[in-house]
Amino acid sequence: MVKKKVTVQHEAGIHARPASIIVKEATRFASEFHIHMYGYRINGKSILGLLTLAAEHGAELELEMDGPDEEEAMKKMVSLFNNGFRMDEK
Amino acid sequence: MPFKNIKAVPRKEHITVSFLVEQLRDKLSLDIRSCAAESSCNDRMITDTDLHRPGLAMAGYVDLFSHQRIQVIGNSERKYIDHIGEDVCLKAFHEITKFPIPVIFLTDNNMLPDAFLQLAEEARIPVFQSPMETTRFMFLVRDFLEDQFAVQTMLHGSMVDVYGVGILISGKSGIGKSEVALDLVERGHRVVSDDVIILTKKSNVLIASPTDINKHFMEIRGLGIVDVMSMFGIRAIRYQKRVEVILELSLWDESHHVDRTGLNRQNTSVLGIDIPTINLPITPGKNITVIAEVIAMNHLLSHYGYDAALAFQQKIQDRIAGKKTGSPVMQRAVEYFEGDLE
Repeated sequence: MVKKKVTVQHEAGIHARPASIIVKEATRFASEFHIHMYGYRINGKSILGLLTLAAEHGAELELEMDGPDEEEAMKKMVSLFNNGFRMDEK
Repeated sequence: MPFKNIKAVPRKEHITVSFLVEQLRDKLSLDIRSCAAESSCNDRMITDTDLHRPGLAMAGYVDLFSHQRIQVIGNSERKYIDHIGEDVCLKAFHEITKFPIPVIFLTDNNMLPDAFLQLAEEARIPVFQSPMETTRFMFLVRDFLEDQFAVQTMLHGSMVDVYGVGILISGKSGIGKSEVALDLVERGHRVVSDDVIILTKKSNVLIASPTDINKHFMEIRGLGIVDVMSMFGIRAIRYQKRVEVILELSLWDESHHVDRTGLNRQNTSVLGIDIPTINLPITPGKNITVIAEVIAMNHLLSHYGYDAALAFQQKIQDRIAGKKTGSPVMQRAVEYFEGDLE
């Protein structure tokens, strides 16, 4: 299991579109993906779960990956958070 | 198992006295009148679920005095003041007011002597009076506080009320929890929450509810987000439901052991409460929705005292025991076919 803290860079926070990008990317990996915020742990592969957090710009989240491809998945997810959810690299 | 790593978070750390009084008046229709220090209600915090009757403290003994709790003065405490004498008790009460007590309630229409109220006013401890009898008052306030300070957690899954039985559908993302929930709604059952469920523990009961954001939205893969309430109407939703059965969906795996008789009931401990759990591997041709209905009916049957697995087992045991006395080995259910009749 790997854990990493990230900050929401996207100006509008995690609304529907960024959430769908996160879920889309997360489901490409076999690892289980959870996000910790406010002491709660939500499933990162669930779009409604992500939206429930209503994470604002600057909010700090902790990502947790657990599974066979956890390192790779974490790298991808962190880069996604850092470039403000732009899907430039395929 | 998705329930292993869940962390319980208290719903609230503290509430203000003014919030408590407002809610007691509003939600529980309690008649509460202010007697002293009403202005300090906003900065007096309640952090404890329990209430305390300060009998010993009023007799002068303040070691281990639970000052952080709401203090309730009822008939016996009030009678004690008259019995021991106001002047004597006033000294003890002065000691009590030195503690940071959140609030004092006088029940059963009791009233403290003016000198006492004066001390409370000086210590900025709010004092309220209610005509309700002490035990009833304490029960209601405690129940309210238990709800406010209840531990809760967030969980991934779908919660549906099937024939009045709360079924929590869990399993990995993409396995089809929401689809089962949607199917159940279509068949006339009521969805509590999809994807995100808040579980609250209250007096050893686990209550599931949606969050204020996701309530009655549902995500269907390939379709997106749909609103169950506006689509299916009010009959399709519920705000809260006790979790009675956990239905865990998993992909079929040969090495997987499943219960074939229903005699070995499994439980999952969620926030310290044991919930009966059914592990259901998904195989081709399996209609999970119908199985969910059967699970609900089976749960109701066992709740009403009939356990099919046990009843069947009893039948077999009777037959085995009967063999010794020479009863037939195997029998047709019908002794004699009288033509094509029922």
